[in-house]
Amino acid sequence: MVKVAVLDYGIGNLRSAQKAFEISGAEARLTADKDLVLASDGVVLPGVGNFGKCAKALTDSGVREIALLAVENDLPFLGICVGMQLLYETSDESPEAKGLGLFAGKVKVLENAPRVPQMQWNQIQLEGDSPLLRGLEDEWFYFVHSYAAEQNQLESTTIATCTYGSPIIAAVQKGLLFGTQFHPEKSGKAGRLLLQNFLKICERTV
Amino acid sequence: MSFVVYPAIDLIDGKCVRLYQGDYARETIYGDDPISQALKFESDGAEWIHLVDLDAARTGSLENTTVIKDICEELSIPVQVGGGIRSSDTAKLLYDIGVERTVIGTAAVEDPELVLRIAEHGHRVAVGVDGKDGYVATRGWKVTTDLKVVDLLKRLEMSGAEVGIVTEIKRDGTMEGSDLEGLSQILRDVNIPVIASGGLGSLEDLHDLVRLQVNGSRLAGVITGRALYEKRLTLKGLIVTAEGLEHVESEHD
Repeated sequence: MVKVAVLDYGIGNLRSAQKAFEISGAEARLTADKDLVLASDGVVLPGVGNFGKCAKALTDSGVREIALLAVENDLPFLGICVGMQLLYETSDESPEAKGLGLFAGKVKVLENAPRVPQMQWNQIQLEGDSPLLRGLEDEWFYFVHSYAAEQNQLESTTIATCTYGSPIIAAVQKGLLFGTQFHPEKSGKAGRLLLQNFLKICERTV
Repeated sequence: MSFVVYPAIDLIDGKCVRLYQGDYARETIYGDDPISQALKFESDGAEWIHLVDLDAARTGSLENTTVIKDICEELSIPVQVGGGIRSSDTAKLLYDIGVERTVIGTAAVEDPELVLRIAEHGHRVAVGVDGKDGYVATRGWKVTTDLKVVDLLKRLEMSGAEVGIVTEIKRDGTMEGSDLEGLSQILRDVNIPVIASGGLGSLEDLHDLVRLQVNGSRLAGVITGRALYEKRLTLKGLIVTAEGLEHVESEHD
């Protein structure tokens, strides 16, 4: 069974993320233990609420260092919602706070949005052919966010967008590092397929 | 914003029930296992689940948290919960067990600041306004006030609630259609999104709700329970119909 470590750094309820991976067929563990994380087949960084608070919790819990180690060790890594935003350098939401800086650039407030936050199911459009999103063209996912990643000028990391006033980056990838602005763990069947795709990546079967 | 069909699960003593016009003496038990019911709704394509703790609605203290927690954990879709949430501590407890949005009813009438106190922590909050002939009813629908539903919703626009859930008690559990006249007035006068609840009994009723439009504003969704349990309608059918109608409607905009 694929072993997934859901990084537990003391923010909100991570049980739904863990459970969603279990339902998708993984052995999912909520943990902040370095050895356990590095011994897993893939790592998930959930995140809810405020970027600054999450960034601080990452540091305080020691999970920041573990997350960076996991990526360094080439473990498939998935950031969800604020967990995706944390992969960037900074966010306009909390200019002082530091993200993991694994993606170049920053996170900024939604522009031209009919209402902020975006709190709804929205349809994604794929860019390229990421193994994470295989079979998910035009599928609907659950979004709750006021901020989103800025278009990266240096490298093309966007694998999906959605439209909310303007186009928004919905998912990104660089190698084995992935992020989704939406919540696959709350997106029903489409979400489960995405998690299963991630598990295949963890199994190295794609 | 797309039209969402919210299948409802009402809980009494851990069981899945429906009442008729809010009357606890006229409950029907639909199976003992709300978790399988919720999973069934999810596999039928639900985007949300609407849960009501009817014990809590009556007593003001949560009675079905174990079941609610199990549902939140087993499902991969967001869950909203209403019934008896009268303090920010109660709401917090629900968010802690995985609830995505709380629905504040009676307490929002009696303490409008409460919604703000809950919402300012970044949590999602809906206000549930239940009416009889257009007037607000509270306390598990035992008390009718002299406040109009539409006026209360207007008052709650700035409360931090992202959506209002409007139930017409006289329609609830009847499957006789929604109160379109009341809803039209609400759409005209209220500036937050509105979900209709109570009375859905046919695909025609759904057509009426999806098509209802006043000054460019439309309903954000419908909550339905009895029609699904009585097998008069299927959730799949409702979702597909709503999607199709919306598609047609948006082409006409």
